[in-house]
Amino acid sequence: MRKSIFIFLSFLLIGAMVATGSALAASSIVVAQDTPPRMMNPHGDDSDAGLQYMANFFDGLLQRTGPGGKLGPALATRWEHPDLLTWKFYLRKGVKFHNGNPFTAADVKFSFERLSNPEVSEFLNTGKSIESINIIDDYTVEIKTKKPIPWFANNMHQVFIMDKESTEARDQGDVMVKPVGTGAYKLEEWVKGSYVRMSANEEYWEGAPSLKKVEVRPIKESSTRFAALVSGQVGIVTGIPVELFDKVKKNPKLEIISRAARRSIFLALGNKPGSPMADIRVRKAMYMAINEDEIIEKIMRGHATPAAQIPDPPTIGYNGDIKRLKYDPEEAKKLLKEAGYEKGFEVTLSGPNDRYVQDAKIAEAVARYLAKVGIKAKLDVKPKSIFFPDVAEGKLEFYLIGWFDGTFDMGRTYFKLAHSRDRDKGYGGLNGAAYGDPAIDKLLESTADIVDPPKRKETLEKLNAMAMTDKIIWIPLHYQEDLYAVNKGRGITFNPRPDRWMVYKEISKK
Amino acid sequence: MAAYIARRMIQGLIVLLAVSMICFVIFRYMGDPVVTMAGRYATFDEREEVRHMLGLDQPIYVQYWRFISNAAHGNFGKSYVSRVPALGLILERFPATFELACTAVIMAFAIGVILGVVVALKPYAMRNRLIMTASLGGISIPTFLMGILLIMVFSVYLGMLPPFGRGDTVQVGAWRTGFLTLSGIKHLILPAATLAMYQLAVLLRLTRAGMREVLTEEYIKTAWAKGLSPMKVIFKHALRNVLIPVVTITGLQFGEVIAFSIVTETIFQWPGMGNLLLTSMYESDRPVVVTYIMMVAVIIITLNIVVDILYALINPKIRYE
Repeated sequence: MRKSIFIFLSFLLIGAMVATGSALAASSIVVAQDTPPRMMNPHGDDSDAGLQYMANFFDGLLQRTGPGGKLGPALATRWEHPDLLTWKFYLRKGVKFHNGNPFTAADVKFSFERLSNPEVSEFLNTGKSIESINIIDDYTVEIKTKKPIPWFANNMHQVFIMDKESTEARDQGDVMVKPVGTGAYKLEEWVKGSYVRMSANEEYWEGAPSLKKVEVRPIKESSTRFAALVSGQVGIVTGIPVELFDKVKKNPKLEIISRAARRSIFLALGNKPGSPMADIRVRKAMYMAINEDEIIEKIMRGHATPAAQIPDPPTIGYNGDIKRLKYDPEEAKKLLKEAGYEKGFEVTLSGPNDRYVQDAKIAEAVARYLAKVGIKAKLDVKPKSIFFPDVAEGKLEFYLIGWFDGTFDMGRTYFKLAHSRDRDKGYGGLNGAAYGDPAIDKLLESTADIVDPPKRKETLEKLNAMAMTDKIIWIPLHYQEDLYAVNKGRGITFNPRPDRWMVYKEISKK
Repeated sequence: MAAYIARRMIQGLIVLLAVSMICFVIFRYMGDPVVTMAGRYATFDEREEVRHMLGLDQPIYVQYWRFISNAAHGNFGKSYVSRVPALGLILERFPATFELACTAVIMAFAIGVILGVVVALKPYAMRNRLIMTASLGGISIPTFLMGILLIMVFSVYLGMLPPFGRGDTVQVGAWRTGFLTLSGIKHLILPAATLAMYQLAVLLRLTRAGMREVLTEEYIKTAWAKGLSPMKVIFKHALRNVLIPVVTITGLQFGEVIAFSIVTETIFQWPGMGNLLLTSMYESDRPVVVTYIMMVAVIIITLNIVVDILYALINPKIRYE
């Protein structure tokens, strides 16, 4: 009896050791990211944190590459926009899913129709804006939208194509944990909360990626992520907090890679008639009362660039002529006096405390600057899961928020943030302070029909200037900085993407 | 005895129902998952559709009744974040937390009791005084500080032990264990030590106090007079009586350790239930949070009953009608 137990145990031990014997090969890498994947269903999470994982297992019709995020072919080799409502995509031939099924137009139709199903998709808006999807032949698809959407193609790098046969054949729970896509990597193992192991897809249509094995370990606690990097357990770490920047810089074994982020942080103000902020002078005063340079220096530790508007330079609608108002508290006090608010007024400043870099501290600083010109701002910072529903309800007065739009088109952002809340048309869904201005609404709505790129650029830039200079819809603060750290001496070549996605086919190792 | 256990179980069910009711009401104010689930660019109508799909447009008592009747069938709803059944999500992580908690409790019990006995024998010796002072540290230093200190010393400076994760684990049937690999065991040491520190100190002091009292009793003097070996006197006669309060506390703490290992799991990125609870609270993932709390209630109630039964085993004089 004892002998057989002993034999059994030693088999178990040997088996365990063999299972863990997979030593890291030369072309493999371990990465510590700050967010874990929520699920392996590519339509179920529309945040960039989730989409980046999906970008490794799946492809969209189009993809964005390069430092400017240029839109280029992926599963579609080219596309046309014959009229305001129609988009025609010519698909790539000879592509196979990870399970061997061929990629055809039927898979595209299935994937897009799935977007409208609220049980599995967070891309409801994209799904429901589609009127019909016609399969012209096995490699050509025509999509018609209900209303003209000029930025429709710009979004195609976020909509991933799933295999129709295997997704329909499996149950929903299995679809949530096992991805079957056409992407550069296949999922080896996903132990929730621990790691995601992927291996290269040798038959990838763009050519097999150079990194053969990738292990992603999501670590939420920033000091633990730092410890993982310093102890040599990982090769790349994303999301270095600004307080640890100096420590990482001083360490000779580590290399910091930083990039100006696309995300801008700004303050949104309501303009309810009768409230102080309905007066443009008050808005201007609040803008001038905030010392953004000091915020960047002291709170962001220098890791931010001042912003004069919400879109970043590569976005259509970015207007380089818009300049920041100077920090001038005396002038601010004068303007407040002119508007009749010499004694100031009370306002509640809301914001998240776990979403953006130093978000709660920035809100505190803003409250302090406003107090110096007599405006008493009551702070109300809360976790993002409670803050964002408040924004969606439109009941806030004054709040801090950040934004970046993956479509590189300002129009889409403005319809959600700047347009007055309109239930029937579905505009202003994230206009948290219920800002409303008929002139802005009119100009914005006119852009929906403009498809000609130069004309679109011109109108959007005009709208942007009106919003920031004439109306001061928002008080812009700064653009964040994306900070990564790499363990030197492992030959890792890593150029971060502007959208912060970690796409492993773009990283190589000597 | 059987009637006693049955009665305790019915009481437990009543407590469970009360806990679920309280949870449900409180977490209504926890945040609205609809905005995230409908996607950033959803229109008002699309959000309403999601709300209807989740059943969140019904009045609270309808939602609660549906939850209880589903729960009776083992269906605790789907996580809003991962869209998979909440109970499965939690149970998946149970092995990780259980192994961590077991290791921590065994560490704390073994080291705490032995040290407590050692310290009780010669309370004023220098070494023992140092141990008592250190135990004060164990009680007062908060868990997160202890964890970070251990990481700094053992991972960053000495590079001896890994600072996060479970290492390589082996799936044995439905149980994912870290005990079978060297890497798994190495990863277990720091988090278990962090978790064990407080309990260790408490058990140490408790054992010491108990031993000191018992060692002055008449029957111990009788045992010494009989000429029994020190080992027999101390362990067979004295310690057995001291163990009752010690086992009680250990049992209760085991439940707490499983339920609330949140801080340790967050620091060490340990993929256990505590970590899941914290993340789910931040994401307003109500199904997971409510299911978790109910599960914790079940565990603690069960452990209480088990401890009561253990009493009867340790001390034959204790009987339940």
